[in-house]
Amino acid sequence: MIAKRPARSRLRRPPGLVVVGVILVTVFCLVAIRDFDYAGARTSGSDVWVDVAHGTGAANVISSIYLGARLFDTILEVLVFSVAALGVRFYLSARGRSYEAELVPESHIVRVAVGVLLPPILLLGIYVLSYGHLSPGGGFSGGVIGASGLLFAAISLGTAHVSQRMRPPVLRWMEWSVLLGLIALAALPATCSLPLLADPLPAGRMGSLMSGGSIPLYNGLIGLKVFIGAWIVIKHFVDHRGEI
Amino acid sequence: MFGFNGVTIAIVLFGIGLLGLIIRRDLVIKLLALGLVNSATILCLVSLGAQESGAPPILTPDMRAAIVDPLPQAIVLSAIVINFAILALALVFVMLLVERYHTTDSARIERESDTEEETWN
Repeated sequence: MIAKRPARSRLRRPPGLVVVGVILVTVFCLVAIRDFDYAGARTSGSDVWVDVAHGTGAANVISSIYLGARLFDTILEVLVFSVAALGVRFYLSARGRSYEAELVPESHIVRVAVGVLLPPILLLGIYVLSYGHLSPGGGFSGGVIGASGLLFAAISLGTAHVSQRMRPPVLRWMEWSVLLGLIALAALPATCSLPLLADPLPAGRMGSLMSGGSIPLYNGLIGLKVFIGAWIVIKHFVDHRGEI
Repeated sequence: MFGFNGVTIAIVLFGIGLLGLIIRRDLVIKLLALGLVNSATILCLVSLGAQESGAPPILTPDMRAAIVDPLPQAIVLSAIVINFAILALALVFVMLLVERYHTTDSARIERESDTEEETWN
């Protein structure tokens, strides 16, 4: 016999009690970290990561961590991003348009500004992802800069126009090919009888553009993946309501 | 009484976000509160690694000061991407619920869904 489920209203706690509980926990946490030794917590691992960066040849220590020691974690993160983009496409494509919003014509100034600013924005995205192993940046930020440039163009020219220029079938094919490329690149050491996470490419001279082993390659692939994924998410949200 | 630093601000922001998640009934506000909780977590991690007069974690030949702890910054990158993915998907689900029930009020959605369930049974 299946037990009868209690009414949901009975399961709710009084909001006042919850508010007091959360405030008490917050104050408790503030009191608990009052004597926390921040300096001791910070300096424990920096030297280790500097050695890791010297091993990979990338001047950016963070790049050498998330595309070196934490490479599989990063690939799974890209996979989560892909699944989210797939989910957005799946649910919103199935629903069709909620209503037919039309493109609001932008002024001549905005149209000219888009023409002037779009190439530098895309160039900045490419710069950030190609110099990600030497300076702050990388694939994720470079891809997002590129996608925000496309959003900027879509605001002025309309999503339909930008989407047509982006060739959706090629984009769809590229989206999954890039993911496969990332997984293949990560599996390359194992196929070359190297230890896992070993870099099959030479580290190069630290500080030069051609350094960091396969880190620039990963940055390029992740940047392309994020660029395509972010554009797909933007496009489907906009398509659902008609136009921007 | 309390030292004023990134971690304490993060704890307060986390508390505010958590309160918003629990007591606000509007689904869009709940998503904003979720974003606040995520930002508080990021602030906490970055603050734990930060230090006064610490150099950025970019290695240069003439580097003199010790670099800040780079591990929290590398972990934060995952948090940002996962947060983007969660927010995008959650927004889609909110849109689907709004299309079905014509409200963003979670209590009303729950009530109407209960009524639907009883009708089916």
